Amino acid sequence: MTQEFFLEVQNLKKYFVAGNPSLFSRVVKHVHAVDDVSLELERGEVIALVGESGCGKSTLALTLMGLEKSTDGKIIFEGIDITHADDKAQKLLRQRIQMVFQDPYESLNPTQTIEEIVGEPLVVHKIGVTADERRARVVQALEDAGLKPADIYMRRYPHELSGGQRQRVVIAGALVLEPHLLLADEPVSMLDVSIRAEILNLLADLRISRQISIIFITHDLGTVGYFADRVAVMYLGRIVEIGKMRDVLENPQHPYTRALLSVIPVPNPRLRRERVILQGETPNPIDLPRGCRFHPRCPIATEECQLTDPPYIEISPKHQAACLKTQKVS
Amino acid sequence: MEAKIVEPKAPTTSSLFLDFWKTFSSNRVAVVGLVMLIVIILVAIFAEQLARYDITTSADITSKDIYQPPSEEHWFGTDDAGKDVYSNFVFGARVSLTVGFFAAFISIFVGGLMGIVAGFYGGRVENFLMRLTDIMLVIPDLPLLIVIVAMTRPSLMNIIFVIGLLGWTTTSRIVRSQTLAVKSRKFVLRARAIGAGNMHIIRHHILPLVLPLLVVNAILVISLAILNESTLAFLGLSDPTRLSWGQMLNFAFGRGAMSAGAWWALVVPGLGIVWVVLALTLLGHGLEQVLNPRLEFHHLMPGRPVVQREAGNVHSFAEEIHPVLLEVQDLSIHYVTEDQPPARAVENVSFTLHEGELLGLVGESGCGKTTLMLGLLRLLPAAGQIVGGQVDFMGKDITAMSEQELLDVRWNGISIIFQGAMNALNPVRTVGDQIKEAIVKHVALLPGDKVDERVVELLDLVGIAADHKDHYPHQYSGGMRQRAMIAMALACNPQVVIADEPTTALDVMIQAQILELLDELRKKLGLSIIFVTHDLGVVAEMCDSVLVMYGGVMAEYSDVDTIYNSAQHPYTQELLKAFPDLSKPEKRLASIPGYPPRLDNLPTGCRFAPRCPRAIERCHTEVPDLHILDKNHVASCHLVEA
Repeated sequence: MTQEFFLEVQNLKKYFVAGNPSLFSRVVKHVHAVDDVSLELERGEVIALVGESGCGKSTLALTLMGLEKSTDGKIIFEGIDITHADDKAQKLLRQRIQMVFQDPYESLNPTQTIEEIVGEPLVVHKIGVTADERRARVVQALEDAGLKPADIYMRRYPHELSGGQRQRVVIAGALVLEPHLLLADEPVSMLDVSIRAEILNLLADLRISRQISIIFITHDLGTVGYFADRVAVMYLGRIVEIGKMRDVLENPQHPYTRALLSVIPVPNPRLRRERVILQGETPNPIDLPRGCRFHPRCPIATEECQLTDPPYIEISPKHQAACLKTQKVS
Repeated sequence: MEAKIVEPKAPTTSSLFLDFWKTFSSNRVAVVGLVMLIVIILVAIFAEQLARYDITTSADITSKDIYQPPSEEHWFGTDDAGKDVYSNFVFGARVSLTVGFFAAFISIFVGGLMGIVAGFYGGRVENFLMRLTDIMLVIPDLPLLIVIVAMTRPSLMNIIFVIGLLGWTTTSRIVRSQTLAVKSRKFVLRARAIGAGNMHIIRHHILPLVLPLLVVNAILVISLAILNESTLAFLGLSDPTRLSWGQMLNFAFGRGAMSAGAWWALVVPGLGIVWVVLALTLLGHGLEQVLNPRLEFHHLMPGRPVVQREAGNVHSFAEEIHPVLLEVQDLSIHYVTEDQPPARAVENVSFTLHEGELLGLVGESGCGKTTLMLGLLRLLPAAGQIVGGQVDFMGKDITAMSEQELLDVRWNGISIIFQGAMNALNPVRTVGDQIKEAIVKHVALLPGDKVDERVVELLDLVGIAADHKDHYPHQYSGGMRQRAMIAMALACNPQVVIADEPTTALDVMIQAQILELLDELRKKLGLSIIFVTHDLGVVAEMCDSVLVMYGGVMAEYSDVDTIYNSAQHPYTQELLKAFPDLSKPEKRLASIPGYPPRLDNLPTGCRFAPRCPRAIERCHTEVPDLHILDKNHVASCHLVEA
């Protein structure tokens, strides 16, 4: 029995050509930004995509949006293969899939008013015949994003708003098209802690009130525990562990997941614990390590890890990890 | 209630245009330029009314009238044909300005279009257009201009077109580079994500941001066009039926004004040209300052310490084994601007730093924590003034030090690790070189090889291999750059290091590495560290004491255990609740509604009252004192009194 998913990503690859190939060498090197990623998402589900910068999570998002062309693999959205959608189909898709960007200071045009920014998608997609109709939708989106009453914000410019308010404007701009899927790329990492919680709560509420599926991209496992149903941990272009939030938090199998969990700051000095601090940084994705791509930084790597690229091992239903040391739960 | 909090203070009348006009009118140079320009434009428009003679007829002119000096009848004298120079001047303004404005319009249009198209589409289009521009730039303008005008009939129309079509090159280059910069900004990506096409993006996102530059450029192009026209006319290449200033010069020069001593025939049109070009230059210069305010300010002017107030409620964590290194008492820093009330960025902040202590300074952005740190070293921007309190560093008051003494404290005594390592490093010099500079500047008379040794030693200390010494910042990863910044801060063996959000832009894993490094260095070198952050979680695991700031004042100050386990100030409590706790993920995240106050528009009572869940009436009217709860626990809140 094949179940139809809301979004299905099959063996997606996105390689970039690294630099200009030199005059004398024929070898073209590639950056393996996304390297064989498969993922399913149900309607209304929230999945967190976690990894350090350079792990390919943002590229994955841009590829799903159609802003980058995939090198290989398939993306099936609401039953339709959108991998090679043409411009017209892409434009329609944008109404269904929207994105919230990381930096609320950079992602708003300083010369536009809030009303223009939030209403822009309606103009682009020629939705709403009259200005009043459009205005009503803008007001609705702003209020849904927590900017109430919307009137006092409509004629303002981004520089008159605080970081948290700006991020709400970005979210309103994504909501105004009533998308089915929202890609949130580090939506809170530039914000202060006290504002962060509000934006996270807002996203959690939207998911319930509007039945939106969310792919939440972050480097900080700590912020996603609250509302993601599932977590996918990415390392060097590949998902190394995926599973239900609870399963992954309580029984992390991949050493990388464990390390990420251990460095989440705990706001209590009495709970100081042993942290696994990985040395070095993510290696460059041009020359991938042989075998398991994590082995050069892995605290428990053995010789075998240098030779074998680990397959996914199922730990419990829906919980998989790509590590040879994975222990199955019987 | 919530609406009241969220509602921003200023009414919504402010528009970009009003803002612009406000800044513009305060720029004297620009206003002078604008007035000069308007005057000459009015002269050109009302030429018929202003002229005192009809310059088209030669009736009533006798040979006596030739080259008459200025008089009642002829204010500026007469020319070689006995005509009134003043009237010629007035009509000449019309022709000169017409040519200047229309030619510039053509140049700006062509240059702007080419620049935007080249910058936006890139690839082959860009290559072709930019090579074309380069070729046009290489050809000397004036000879080409002369040749073309000489070959075509020198009518006014032709001259406008020729000048216009030769003057677009600089515009196209400037516009292209601005387009490239705007194109790479995130809001363009966002526009793509909502499905906008190229035309939409150019119209709504590229053009509005290119326009200011185009306007400034246009003004310079106009003056260039007027100069070009005058040159051509002076050489005799102009429409003989339309008198321009250049032509007046040509006639006067060619028909013996010099030998007749008729200086007025030359000076008057010359002054006209100078007047317009000067007006445009002033206006352009002023506009540039208005549109690019970064040109206006100068950083790091020494702050002026002002009158001291008597020391207030001094408190210190007594019975400490380690000696006190830094003691800050009632420090207040205001940003003073001319026509606005001062922004009270820091008020009455006191804390003590012992040897080897790690103090966490926690607060939201805009709470004054960076101002406080810059104030400690008196590195405040020009408007920032220390208006009260003192900073005792090893027994000496920094606020009363001379510049010379200060130089000795900076870096040798107290050094700073700045936020955003990429911006704080010079991209064109190697990292080793920059660390070396920090050493040489402060530790005089160290032989060259000793300095190199020291650089390697410092790099080793922060975990960077010696062979990375000769690399440039861009070859470093984010974490390594931050390490290099730390090495630089350690260069002169300071006793106190201020780390201003050193991990904020970094991934969690790198953040953990940097924290571990700082903790290690503290133990190894006996450093005292002030760790500035907005994230309470980050400092919990290594701080000894924590100072929580809100809206420029101390909210709570205590040892780390008290802060995290028995905080008394509602702000601290709320911050802790807002922290995601993975052990209880089902719980909803608590958030603090509203936003921090603006420092130039503070609430009358407690600064946290508008957002405080436990605020009582008194909190809105009365500023709370700093209450000493315990010998090392201070909180500024009315609620702790009971």
